[in-house]
Amino acid sequence: MASLVSRGIASLKSKETRDYLMSTHFWGPVANWGLPLAAIADLKKDPDIISPKMTVALCFYSMLFMRFALQVKPKNRLLFACHLANEAAQLTQLARYINHKYGGPQPMKQYQVPSKSNATTAPPPPPPSAQPARSA
Amino acid sequence: MFLLSDLYRVAINVGDRALSPGMKKIVKWDHPAGMKYIHFWAPLMKWSLVGAGFSDMLRPANKLSLNQSISLFATGAIWSRYSMVIVPKNYMLFAVNIFLAFVGAQQLARIAHYRYTHPEVASTTKN
Repeated sequence: MASLVSRGIASLKSKETRDYLMSTHFWGPVANWGLPLAAIADLKKDPDIISPKMTVALCFYSMLFMRFALQVKPKNRLLFACHLANEAAQLTQLARYINHKYGGPQPMKQYQVPSKSNATTAPPPPPPSAQPARSA
Repeated sequence: MFLLSDLYRVAINVGDRALSPGMKKIVKWDHPAGMKYIHFWAPLMKWSLVGAGFSDMLRPANKLSLNQSISLFATGAIWSRYSMVIVPKNYMLFAVNIFLAFVGAQQLARIAHYRYTHPEVASTTKN
């Protein structure tokens, strides 16, 4: 047991580990971990800030890059794990967005007449303000 | 779903048989980062991120996510170096990450500007 621990620590202090930790092969995927962590941090926030186009694009992107990470030489399992996590996080954000947009009662359209079937519709969204913010 | 990969494989086989060697040289058909391999298609997909980020310019600045902008910028910057170091060298990946870094920086600038011009929002947001 003790020799296992000491061998483990010795392998962590070895030159290969130090070379790996200094390589772009390590720091590239570390930078990419920012994306799933950002998505996980955004899970607590208002679903208003979710951009549907960006979320769908990120889903496809992570799907393809999961394969890319395993096909590139040398194989990059850290990158694979990062994109797996990102795929899960982006799919969750997409579900939250769809729920937020279409999950509740939909506001009545202009052509609809109030009736028993749309009696519980939400109030219409506020119109865009007349004075949009101007740059300084 | 698997029909698409079969279609793709058929298209590649047709290309292998139909293209002349001269044509293959021009389009770099057999390049290790060419159309036959994931090294080409994955970075091509990443352009959709650049496009989505660019189309987010139409969204009001208070609806942008700061976390996502920071991580897009950082990933674009670091990956543009990484793409020149992996085997095979991937110029498509390099180009797309340069643009992604610019798009991320642009989103960050919009968020910063919005918070600068709306101090009441800047003081109430937790992030």
